[in-house]
Amino acid sequence: MSDVILEIEGYSGAFRGRESGEMEPVLFDVSYRLKPKAITAVVGETGSGKSLMALSVLGLQPPTFRRTAGSIRFKGEEILGLDDRALRRIRGRRISMVFQDARAALNPVFTVGDQLADTDRLHSGRSRHAAMAKAIEALRRVQIPEPERRARQYPHEYSGGMAQRAMIAMAALICEPELLIMDEPTTGLDVTTQAEIMELIVDLAKSRGLTVCLITHDLGVVAETCDEVIVMNKGRVVETGATEQIFTAPAHAYTRRLLAASQLGEEGA
Amino acid sequence: MEMLERRRFGLARFRTLSPAGPGADPQQRAEENPGRMLSRPEAAPKPRRKRRFSRLTLSGKVGATLLAFYVGVTILSFFWTPYDPTMPGAGMPYEAPSLAFPLGTDRLGTDILSMLMMGTRYDLGICLAAVFIAFSIGTILGTIAGYFGGTVDTVIMRLIEIVQAFPGLLFAMLIVQAAGPGVVNVIAVLSFVGMPDYLRLARAEIRSRREWQFAEAARLVGNLWFGVAFKHLLPNSMGPLLAFTSLNAAFSVLIIGSLGFLGLGLSPDSPEWGNMIARGQDGVMTGQWWVSLFPGIAVLGMTAAFYMLGDAIADITDPRRRR
Repeated sequence: MSDVILEIEGYSGAFRGRESGEMEPVLFDVSYRLKPKAITAVVGETGSGKSLMALSVLGLQPPTFRRTAGSIRFKGEEILGLDDRALRRIRGRRISMVFQDARAALNPVFTVGDQLADTDRLHSGRSRHAAMAKAIEALRRVQIPEPERRARQYPHEYSGGMAQRAMIAMAALICEPELLIMDEPTTGLDVTTQAEIMELIVDLAKSRGLTVCLITHDLGVVAETCDEVIVMNKGRVVETGATEQIFTAPAHAYTRRLLAASQLGEEGA
Repeated sequence: MEMLERRRFGLARFRTLSPAGPGADPQQRAEENPGRMLSRPEAAPKPRRKRRFSRLTLSGKVGATLLAFYVGVTILSFFWTPYDPTMPGAGMPYEAPSLAFPLGTDRLGTDILSMLMMGTRYDLGICLAAVFIAFSIGTILGTIAGYFGGTVDTVIMRLIEIVQAFPGLLFAMLIVQAAGPGVVNVIAVLSFVGMPDYLRLARAEIRSRREWQFAEAARLVGNLWFGVAFKHLLPNSMGPLLAFTSLNAAFSVLIIGSLGFLGLGLSPDSPEWGNMIARGQDGVMTGQWWVSLFPGIAVLGMTAAFYMLGDAIADITDPRRRR
């Protein structure tokens, strides 16, 4: 058990139709494992269920989604069906998440510094002043220039890349989790910003011994940064393996198609 | 992407704050936004928070000044009024406005200015108390209903619909009639009549934001439902709620006046503005216009003050609309 931090086994689920009440299955017997202190990528096209699966780990699946089978174990402990209190101990402190659109994930009426400090106080019980100091330190760590001034600004005053950095500061540095799930953290950012963010993520993961689950459809990013790859298609895991193996010797036809498509895209760019 | 986001926020603001005012003017909005988009924080080291008053729109300034004037008069009335407002016979009956009696006297020769000053206590005090209670209860229940949805929501909303089935003023009259006159009763009735609107507004606001990502993010970092609903979602809804508060305050002043005018709210001899207007009615026919006119202006002024303040409050509470 010691070499697996998160284990998903036979997870299946369906959406309940709004009017018909019929169940439309979307996840089929999904199983994968995350190794500790590694960066694992979950790749697949839009609608392949990769985000849905990750959200389910934290119990944040949409209300119309119903699990029909499967289990999710975090460090050997079953986390499906835990009550709110137990979930709260896991959320944030042990598993934390970075969303795709960081600007929507920050609360528009509070300054970024306040939000980081508030989150810190939820877990640490530090004084307001000490929490703010830690928040500014976290912003500095994710290379936000002038963190003292930036901490007093509102999310709408941040650019997309800046907001994503702040979000990473919150999820990785303030919450200090063991597992960080990132749901397409670089989608919607320009290429240079993407590269900077990915560099930051790798740096944080290596220096803190953080396990990262990176959900993405950018295979270029995956090739450069990830240790393990899980390929999903239409709600199924089609292939898992080390990054090198997936890129050099893809076993499944879908993986080959995915690679072919992305390489076309990259040569063009 | 960013622009879309901004536009969405802009539209949402615009939709929730329809009462016309400078902030809601689409023309101005269109002019405001591109400028703000260009002025990235990196570019413009803008001065830190100006003082709140100077950030108000013009109508907001007028409203705030008027309201401050009423509050000042209320405080003053505890220490000084030109004559004793409860003492008839300070002057001759129906004395026209003059230097001695700036707003004239009523049928019993009581000084109208003194009565108006004392009446501010009733109208402003009752109004603020009622609005405060209605706001607190309505917002808390509305937040709970909006956040949880489902059965909780259904139960709360059905109860509220029963209350709302009656027109506000009529309902207030019925209850006051049944409960009897008195300051406490009027406050209770007004908060009861006003509360459903806060509840509906808070519920709608919370519902529309419940699924937003920052709420999810707040849950994710370990907030309990209470923290998510009241610490993260509710502050986002404060703008519309506060803007509505001032509309509700204006409406409350009108109801207090109406109840007084009909002789239902307070004891008929108290110098409440509605009472005073009612007592001056006879005079209007025979040329003593001042007895009813001045309390009427006082009601009008206070209502206007609250209305004008409403839009300005919405401006201040929204960081995106701060200037």
